Amino acid sequence: MRRNVFIFAGVLAGLGAGWAGFPRAIYTSRPEPVDFSHKVHADKAGAKCEDCHGFRDDGSFAGIPTLEKCAGCHAAPMGATAAEKHFIDNYVTPGREPQWLSYARQPENVYFSHITHVKRAQLKCEQCHGNEGTADHLRPFEQDRVSGYSRDIWGGQGRPGMRMADCVDCHRRSAVRGSAQAGERSCLDCHQ
Amino acid sequence: MTTRRELFKFAGGSAMGLLLTPAPWRLITDTALWSENWPGIPRPARGEIRAKFTHCGLCAAGCAVRARCVGEQPVSLAGVEGGLCPFGVTGHHLPYHPERLKEGNRQEAAAAMAAAAMAAAVSHSTPERRVAVLDLRPGRTASWTYRRAMAAIPNGCYLAPEEPACAVNLAAAATVLSLGAPLLDGWGRLSRVFAARPNFRLIQAEAVESRTAALADQWLAVQPGTETVLGRAVAGQIGTQQAAEVTGLAAEQIEQVARALRENGPALIVAPEMTSEVLAWNLPLGGWGKTVLPRREAPVPGNWGKAAPVTDWATLKDGSLGALLIDESVPGAHLPWATIQPKLAADAVVVAFAWSRAGYARHATHVLPTAVYPEALGDLPAAIDATAAEFRLTVPLVAAPGGMTDPVELVSAMAGLDAKDALHERAAAIYAAGRGSLRTYADGKSTAVKELKPDDFWKGLNAGGSWTGGPENCGPAPKLKEAAWPEEDTGALWPFRLATEQPGAATLVAPLMAKLSQESRLRLAPHSAAMHPRDGFEEGARLVLETPYGRCPIVAALDESVPPGVVLVADGPEIADIRSADGRARVVRI
Repeated sequence: MRRNVFIFAGVLAGLGAGWAGFPRAIYTSRPEPVDFSHKVHADKAGAKCEDCHGFRDDGSFAGIPTLEKCAGCHAAPMGATAAEKHFIDNYVTPGREPQWLSYARQPENVYFSHITHVKRAQLKCEQCHGNEGTADHLRPFEQDRVSGYSRDIWGGQGRPGMRMADCVDCHRRSAVRGSAQAGERSCLDCHQ
Repeated sequence: MTTRRELFKFAGGSAMGLLLTPAPWRLITDTALWSENWPGIPRPARGEIRAKFTHCGLCAAGCAVRARCVGEQPVSLAGVEGGLCPFGVTGHHLPYHPERLKEGNRQEAAAAMAAAAMAAAVSHSTPERRVAVLDLRPGRTASWTYRRAMAAIPNGCYLAPEEPACAVNLAAAATVLSLGAPLLDGWGRLSRVFAARPNFRLIQAEAVESRTAALADQWLAVQPGTETVLGRAVAGQIGTQQAAEVTGLAAEQIEQVARALRENGPALIVAPEMTSEVLAWNLPLGGWGKTVLPRREAPVPGNWGKAAPVTDWATLKDGSLGALLIDESVPGAHLPWATIQPKLAADAVVVAFAWSRAGYARHATHVLPTAVYPEALGDLPAAIDATAAEFRLTVPLVAAPGGMTDPVELVSAMAGLDAKDALHERAAAIYAAGRGSLRTYADGKSTAVKELKPDDFWKGLNAGGSWTGGPENCGPAPKLKEAAWPEEDTGALWPFRLATEQPGAATLVAPLMAKLSQESRLRLAPHSAAMHPRDGFEEGARLVLETPYGRCPIVAALDESVPPGVVLVADGPEIADIRSADGRARVVRI
């Protein structure tokens, strides 16, 4: 019996390290520069997603709004929260652009067309971004130490993954033009 | 006391346990992702993503292009109102082509030497030693500048390939007979061709099963080089029996095609070159004003009237050119060098304005590097499927590197012309004419010229907009002379016929396309020649292809889909240099 104890102990240690320790160790965690509340902006200010994350005239997606957009309303405090005061004192007043950490940023070799998915396919923002738009706080940004990619590429918490296989799966399920079923796939649709 | 053996057992157990967790598999995936960012792997620029609009300058069709740019760097091109051919999609790679002529230490000296040689040729020009510009893509504003410059220079002459005799309107056609034209493969604007495609029946007469032949409603596998004979038979100029003997088709098949064109109109006959002979075949079918239209040109400033006409090659005496300037900065028609060389004096100065050494630069005494699409600002001639006058700019998407020569600037300076603002002047003349509308692709709107201010019109053009003149009366059908018949070829001297894949699209190909074609064999590699096994050559045989204009080494690639007696090659400068209009060729072993 004693002969196998060490083997079992090793297996348990390996399982523990792999399931519990590894996910903690593989990611670095960094807070966003400002604790932005989507919930406050949606509920109190009545803002919709596209009010801040809109499209430009040429159809390209503007992404995370710049300081200019935020300063349009927050040149002076609109509430009494510490987060807003911190934002105005450290960014709006000195005119310093916050270095937001994007959870859903694609790698350099890929382009995701927001306008195709939002305007043409009529997808709702939350179908890909989960409940981000109703959260009261911004999650810390978790980055894989080895690959350098955001943890969000694996999906979870109501969000689909962002790997190529996830794109293909969704296109197959939706049977959209350009899917494998239609027999029309073009690398250059997404890869640049 | 824990023994060493027990420690090893623990380590082995841990390894087993880890294998039952995601850790090792994630590490493999992460390492693979990390390897994408190894040093030395090019990384596309990061920045704001914007869209810019321009027109593709790789062929005269000039499809509208939407370029997705990261910062100022174009990273992806797409058609605006439809498709873009594979060459157009990869057009933004061309500035980085490994074979591109780059600025060298001696570039400035080379340009000065070329300018001095040209100046000397101009000052010593006589009616027997003329100075000429060969414009491979006539019909542009640059072409007008060349013509004006040649009119200003004593003994100057302007040379250009023959322009199409008419424009075509595929949208009005119900039946189309294509005599070897790559109709669905970049002949006209893909967006227009494919928009019209569901409404016409396409009969493709071609020796090989090209992509257009494969997508046609009917493919007539004629003997190579006999497409014109079929055209004449369909037009009733020769008997169907006689045509059947030459083309290899059954007489009933030819009659059936002629009947389809007569009865299922409006009908249209197209060929790779829309010569006056092809136009003449269309007139009896009632196509004038419907499927075939006069080519319209955008207005030009009134003070450009003094411009040299196009000099006919046939009237040019042998040895009469003391200097020849070849504008190869934009892809266009390629005249075989064997037709140009006899016209040159023994000590003629030949200057090639080119972006690579692959074309006429091989024969030139001076080569001056130029900007390449999408670096250069210019305009496009009216496309073959333009039903009205058009004015479109190839708006630069990236800046040209230093040391590039602008052929228009150099030629106009040689003639003492100020043509720096020629495009702007042309746009002002179009605006002053007050007709037509400007289409801007960013918002998809068409605005009448009369509703625009002159500055807005110019800005709209520079933002990738396209001016289209209004509909004009076609007038009566032109009266055409009967075309001369080519000399008879018994077939004994030239038993093969040369056919090319994607004609005219070989000089400017992005490296990605070359890589894909080599790896996938979607296109023939340069110097490979597809031949039928019955032709008597074995796979990989090293051969020489001979035509009336010259010879070129080839390697046999056996392919049963190629008809016997046909040599199918990838187009390229060497092939373009030796290809005759009727494709006569022979193949010999080395």
